[in-house]
Order: sequence, then C-alpha cells, then structure tokens
Amino acid sequence: MLTGLRRTCRRSALKALLGLGTAGRAWGASPAGIVFGLTPVFLNNDIELLAKLKAYLSRMTGRDVQLVQRRTYEEITGLLLSGQLTAAWICGYPLVQYQEQLALVAVPLWMGKPLYQSYLIVPADRKAASIADLRGDLHAFSDPNSNSGFLVTAALLAEMGESPDRFFRKTIFTYGHRNVVRAVTSGLAQSGSVDGYVWEVMSSLEPDLTSGTRVLRKSELLGFPPVACLKRLAAIREVSLIRDALVAMSDDPDGRALLGMLRLDGFAVEPSSLYDPIAAKMRLVRSIDG
Amino acid sequence: MTLRDSNWVRNGWSLSITVPATVALLLAAISIVVTIRALSRVEETQQRNLQELSSAYLDGLSASLIPSVVREDVWEVYDILDNSRARYRGLNVQWVSVTNGDQKIIASSAPERFPPLEPMPASDAALFSFKEDVMLVDSDKQARMVRSLVYQNQEIGKIYAVADISALMAERSDVLRELVTTNAALTLCLAVIGYFAMRWLLGPVHILSNFLSWGRAGTMQQVPEQVIAQQSNEFRKLFENYNAMAAAVNEREVLASELAEEEKLASVGRLASGMAHEINNPLGGMLNALDSLKRYGAREEVRATSVRLLEEGLTGIRDLVRSTLTTYRVDQRPRDLTATDLDDLRLLIKPEARLRKLRLDWRIEIADPVHVPAVPVRDAILNLLLNACHTSPEGSMIGLAVGVRGNRFVADVTDTGAGLPAHMREYIERKGAGSSPLDRRSGLGLWIVKRHCDEMKGWLEILNSNENGTTIRLVIPVSGEFENAA
Repeated sequence: MLTGLRRTCRRSALKALLGLGTAGRAWGASPAGIVFGLTPVFLNNDIELLAKLKAYLSRMTGRDVQLVQRRTYEEITGLLLSGQLTAAWICGYPLVQYQEQLALVAVPLWMGKPLYQSYLIVPADRKAASIADLRGDLHAFSDPNSNSGFLVTAALLAEMGESPDRFFRKTIFTYGHRNVVRAVTSGLAQSGSVDGYVWEVMSSLEPDLTSGTRVLRKSELLGFPPVACLKRLAAIREVSLIRDALVAMSDDPDGRALLGMLRLDGFAVEPSSLYDPIAAKMRLVRSIDG
Repeated sequence: MTLRDSNWVRNGWSLSITVPATVALLLAAISIVVTIRALSRVEETQQRNLQELSSAYLDGLSASLIPSVVREDVWEVYDILDNSRARYRGLNVQWVSVTNGDQKIIASSAPERFPPLEPMPASDAALFSFKEDVMLVDSDKQARMVRSLVYQNQEIGKIYAVADISALMAERSDVLRELVTTNAALTLCLAVIGYFAMRWLLGPVHILSNFLSWGRAGTMQQVPEQVIAQQSNEFRKLFENYNAMAAAVNEREVLASELAEEEKLASVGRLASGMAHEINNPLGGMLNALDSLKRYGAREEVRATSVRLLEEGLTGIRDLVRSTLTTYRVDQRPRDLTATDLDDLRLLIKPEARLRKLRLDWRIEIADPVHVPAVPVRDAILNLLLNACHTSPEGSMIGLAVGVRGNRFVADVTDTGAGLPAHMREYIERKGAGSSPLDRRSGLGLWIVKRHCDEMKGWLEILNSNENGTTIRLVIPVSGEFENAA
C-alpha cells in the first residue's frame, strides 16, 4: 500500500514541477516564496544541514525558501496554525491535536518505514526493570507537545491510572531529545522520555553521550514526526512543490546527502490514519487529566 | 717558592676565591630577592586575572541565569551551567550550583553531588562564607566563587562555584623552578668568570707578593723589566715603586752591616783599650816591684813584698785574660746560663766602670743552671750594662739584679742617668724592633739586645725611667731546650 502511495506522490511532484498546481497564496509572510518551519525534532541545529536543506528545497521548488526554527513545538505549531508557514516539520502529537486544521504533507521514512518508537531511558548503571521503578524520579521530557518525548510516557502512566505530575517527583522539559539524553547521562534526571530515532542516531554519532543511558522500555511503532500544512492551504502549489521535493529527495544526489545526514531513507505520502494510535494515546491522557 | 705559590690570603682564603664567592653570595641574595618579588608579582597577576575572569564568569552566568532562576527552570539552569563550561574553559570550573531564594538547589553542573530541589548542603554552603566574589584556597588548590542573583532588588538565588587552580599553582611552581635554575646557573657562571677574572686581575699582586716573600728571607729582589713591561699602567707604577723601595731597603741593609762592622771594630778598640788599661795598672806595680827586686833584692822583706806584688799583678792579668777568653771563645754552642757567666760579666764591665769611677750593685740570685741560652743572654746583659755605664754620671752607681720569676728569667739593669729619651723608650717597647737598628747616633748596643730578645722570644720592659735613673728589665722565657747542651 505504501509503495502505491509513493508512486502517487511522485506523480504529484511531477505535476508540481510542470506548474500544474492551482492553489493561491493565502499566507502573508512571503507571497512569492516558501516558509518552512522546523522543530528540534531531529539533531540539534546543524548549520550545515540547514544550509543544505534550504539549498535543496530552493532548487527543487524553484522558490525562495526560508527556514524558520523555534525552540518548542508549540511555537512552530502556532506559526503553522496562524498561516505564517507554508509547511512545517512537526510531531505526530500536534498533528492529532489539531487534526481539524492540519493536513499531512509527507512523512519521513526511517529504516524503510514511516514509523519510529519512543524510548524510556535511565542512567546506564541504574537497576530499574519497568516504569513502575521510576516512581519519584526527576523525569526529563522533551516537549509537552512531543509524542515520543512526552505523550507516550504520559499515556503509559495513564494506563496505570497515573499522571506524570503525580508519578514523578518532578518533571522537566528540555525542549530537545538530545537534551533528554544529556539530562539523564549527567544525572540531572533519573529517567527520561526520548525519541527512539534520535537516540539511535545519537548512539552512532555521539556514543559517549548515549552510553551513559540505558533503554528501559521501547514503545510500539508509531507514526514518524511528519511534515504538515494547514488543511485550507493543502492544495496550493507551494505545498505541492514542497511535498514533491521531499518525496524526490531519495532520487537526488543532494537529497541523498541530506537524507544521509538525517539518517533517513526518504519521504513518502502517507495516510493520516498512520497517526491514529497517537490520537488514541492523546485521548487516554486527556481522560486521566480530565 | 714559585710565582704560582700564592700566600696573599685573608683569613686563610685566597682573594681569587673570596671575591668570586662574595660576588656569588651577593648574586644569590639578589636572586632570592628577585625570585620572591617575581613570584609575588606572578601571584598578584594570577590573582587579579582570576578575579577578573571570575567576575566575568559570574557576570555572564548571572545575566543568563536570572530569567531561568525566576522560573526555577531546572533544565535551562543546567543547560546554561553545562554550556558555560566550554565557554569559560580557562577558569577550569570543577562544579557550579545555583540555588533559589530558599537555598534549594535548582541545578548544578554536578547533579549527582548536588541533586535538584535538595537543599544546598550546609557544609558546602559554609565554604562560601566570605564577602568578596572570589576566595583563593591555596591548600585545596581551589578558587571559590559566590554571587547573589538579584532580580528587582530581591535576592532570588545564588551561584556557588569552585574552580580548580592547580594549573595556576603549577605555573607558579614552574616560574619558581625556572627562576631558581636560571639564577643558580647565572650565579655559578658569574662566580666561575669572577674566579678567573680575579686571578687575572690579581696576577700582578701575586707577583709582587712573591717578590715581597722572597725579600723576607734576605736581600729584596728587583722585579725584572720585562715583567714590568707586561703590566697595566697602575701596576707598572706599583712595580717601579716596589723596585725603588727594594733598592732603598737593600742599601739600608748594606749601611746597617757597615755600621755593625764599624761598631764591632769600635768595640774591639774599646776592649783592647780597656784590657791595655787593666794590664797597665798591675804592670806599673809589677815593674816597680821588679825594680825594687833589682835594687834591694837582697833584703828579705823587700823581696817578699815584691814577689807578692808581682803575684797579685799576674793574678789580675790572668783573670782578665780568662774572662776575655770565656766571653769571646770560638765555641758558641747553645748552653744554659750559669752564675759563672754572670761573674764574668763583672770582670768584663769592671774596666769601663773603673774608668768612670762607677760602683757596682751586683745581686745574682739564680740556682745553676737556668734554662736560657747563656751566650745571647750574657751578651744582651753586657750591652745593657755598657749602656748603663755610658749614661751614668762619674762616681755614681750602676746595678744588676738577676733572678728567676716563675717561668721567666729576669735581669734588671739600673743606671743613674737622666732617663730615656722618648724615641728610645718607644724603640725598647716596640715588638719586632730588632729587625733594624735604632739610629746611627744611638749605636748598635740596644739593637743587639733587641735582636737577642726577638731570637729568644723575650722582651724588654722599662720598670722606671726619670731624671734620677732608669731600670730596664730583660725578660726571657725559661725552657729546657739547652739543658743537655751545657
């Protein structure tokens, strides 16, 4: 099914390249260009990566591309919802939070799948067997709007009838998956919730940092943080150009270099149902909070 | 002795050693002072730099931390502290902790030691009870820093930090090591240079010293012209002056010898005259007795009287000849002094005393033998007695009192002259005056006495000297040296 979708994607990209898109320009930031939002979903701000991404998107879309970075998901989601971004690489949790307003543009493929996991990590030398042993910890989350860095653990606790504030002695938000690893390695936090994709990539790039941690629990596979846009702008040409450029990335040398840096295999167009499990977790957590 | 055998030393050390050693000591003292000053400057500079760096560190941290501390954001505070490590690597911070207004830790760069939300351990907080931002603790090789975080005039927390200053201490040790090594090498080097420089500079003094040493043994030698020509102007002049002085001394020695010879001849003349006089007196009586024998030899009483007179005369002549032979005999081997030697003196002085109608006060209180060399002692006393005869007015009295006091032989010679002139008193009392005569007009008698005194390690004392007369005491230490030679 996914292969078929990717084929569809490629056709759309071709159409976009041929200038067959029909959408108008509804956002105000840059009428002639593309404003692409980024969250610290992946590795920390890598100037080289951002420069290559900008260059690639500019070349592929034929538009002036502006990359916008913010510290939190909330800020990027806010910019996206207010129409200031053409599209943004956000997380599955904001996508399901605002599923009425947001639409999927493309989903990264990691290890050939548009899926990843959330890891519950503890210091490497800590003897803990399950999340139950983490009661009373100072726990490091990534972002309150992160699926892997918050929602998965909150949902796990909700299944136990607990909330993070009650279960843990103190929770902190580090606004970066890498920071969660740093917090646990340094001993600042006794446990943390982190993006499994980020942890795995870090374990090959910065083994000294991840070697101080141990994965206590891996979640089930969930939809990878996607690139999304406002539903009402989904049909505009710039969105199509972005989708096509992302989907075509694995076919382009520069794109492949970018994917190499991101340790990803490519981008694909996936159905929004990919994020239903995340939506279910959100509802579970909300039911406990409520 | 060669030119290389130096004895121009002071306190047993050669100048070529003492001067470089003194210079080396001075340099070492200067080095120590300079080292202490340099170290204290290094320490001051390090402390100032550390203060400035610490202030900059605390200023930077405060500015970054205040918003996060207001929110008590554990991660942000930790992130700032963690990132500041790389930014302030020069400070080598061991740990830094931030507390809130309740002294609870928000975050620390060492979270395992200082866990978030726990109170700052009192033992650690107590280490920071000082007023300034920074305090150096040399013993722990630490710099402790503390800064209050003030927001809207309220203290919202504190930064506590400890920096490792062992690198600074090591730098100080390096500076010390380098200074000591350099200064020691310089001092040693300069001492060696100083040694050779002094040897070179003192070369002419060395030469002069050797010539003076050789001069002590006899005639003073002249420094050869070619040696003088090799010297610098100052030493050339010094050498020329030495040569002039050596010539003068040699000339004086010759004159003194001539003088002594003249005096000897005069003495011989006086002796001959005295002896002639002594022989002449009995001779007149003897000739008269012989004449009486010729004329009235047939008369028994005349014959007996004449024979007695002839015998007395001949006995007197025999005694005179015997004492002269004893005094001036060729065999002058060292022997102890006996009372007979002193009796001989009486015979020897008698002609001179009779000539001046002097009476003799003769007191000899010695037990035979006294362990002092007989010939020079008797010679010295004879000269003192002759001087006493010359200075005493006719018809007066001269005295000799001889005895042993403890370990000393003493002979007091008294005259009834007008007292000693000042220059003669000074000459008599001056140690080592026997190396040269008093002066030409004073004769050589006193010089001979002084020379004998010096040879026998004795001395002269003036017991009294005024217009009524003078008593001079000859003191000779008694030893057993001549006991077996008598």
